[in-house]
Amino acid sequence: MKRVLIVEDHSDIRKLIRMTLEFEDCEIHEAGNGANGLRMAIELCPDFMLLDIMMPGATDGLEVCRAIKSMPELASTKIVMLTARGQQHDIEAGREAGADEYLIKPFSPLELIQTFERMMVPA
Amino acid sequence: MPPIRLIPVSTVTDSDQEPEGSGHGASNRALYDALELSLAGSRAKQDPSPSDPANNSILARASASAQMERLVADFMQMYRERNEALKEVTSAHHDALFRLALAADFKDDDTGVHVVRIGFLAEALALALGHSPEWADLLRKAAPMHDVGKIGIPDSVLKKPGTFTPEERTAMNQHARIGAEILGKSRIPLFQLASEVALTHHERFDGRGYPKGLAGNEIPLSGRIVSVVDYFDALTMDRCYRPAMSDVIVHEMLRAERGNAFDPQIVDVILEHWPRFIALRNLVTQRQPTFTDLVRGGLDSGDVRKVAS
Repeated sequence: MKRVLIVEDHSDIRKLIRMTLEFEDCEIHEAGNGANGLRMAIELCPDFMLLDIMMPGATDGLEVCRAIKSMPELASTKIVMLTARGQQHDIEAGREAGADEYLIKPFSPLELIQTFERMMVPA
Repeated sequence: MPPIRLIPVSTVTDSDQEPEGSGHGASNRALYDALELSLAGSRAKQDPSPSDPANNSILARASASAQMERLVADFMQMYRERNEALKEVTSAHHDALFRLALAADFKDDDTGVHVVRIGFLAEALALALGHSPEWADLLRKAAPMHDVGKIGIPDSVLKKPGTFTPEERTAMNQHARIGAEILGKSRIPLFQLASEVALTHHERFDGRGYPKGLAGNEIPLSGRIVSVVDYFDALTMDRCYRPAMSDVIVHEMLRAERGNAFDPQIVDVILEHWPRFIALRNLVTQRQPTFTDLVRGGLDSGDVRKVAS
């Protein structure tokens, strides 16, 4: 079973993601801001993280992504940015921060499932 | 799909600004409302003048509606894929059984075209008799399987030239029941009809057929139609025990069996449309349609209906 961490400030979006990923065999955890997301990532060592960029508080999603990618203990954690910021330079910024995938809101639950399967389920 | 395990939310966060009730226990309606509310918030963060509540509300509706559209687009995609998959399953099912029919047919006809002709001829006859296109369509697919039970008949009997001993005749006649048993195990309507045809296509209108000796309208219509079509087509083919007969002779032989082997009404209709049935038989032989064509009904559209018109 894969461990998933959703970092997203809106509980309804978290619920939509949770409902989508519950089609898969996974254990889902949630955080509502960047700081909590980072703390929980260190505690849980998730296999798969969904990361919003704009969230309340001092730490945004890009910073969380950079921090996680700099930690050797979390080297196997796959990070998918899930954000309303869909400009080319936003996607570039996500790639530079080390994100493995970049999905844009409004997001397609089907695409999310396919992304999860591609990254988590061995072919 | 792996079993779904629900894990409780491990941490509720301090920054969660959503109202109570939008959490995991809330109904879908509440989720939808909350989605709209929170998307208002989400857009507000990007909006340069978030203080304008009317503007926020418009943006919220736009975002919620955009997310709904994505969900519906996903739903449509999956719905299309589902329909495609169902079609695939149905055609795979048909294909498997037609191949079984073909295997049986290969035992006494080296081409397999006979069973395909039986399908198109049975459909044309059903339409000429005034039955619905839907039923005729089903019969076209079911009729080719009528002799599937021959798979269970030893070649020493099936391929014997000349006449049968009573024991061999009894063995040969088992093919009706064997076919019905093979096909009747399926719950799919097409195969139920095919099973009915297999069981009753050697019954005779006068009650002297087999396996049950049913008479007149006790014999299902499907069996009464296919017995005529099978007789018509089989007589005009070369067999190991006799050469093909001419269409004129077959016409007379059919007339002679009116009310004996065959339902008089069905014989009347095939004789009335005789040249058209001959033409359809020749067309099928010439085109060599595949089982896929048979499933789709695809000779030239209207070939079969022309016979009936």
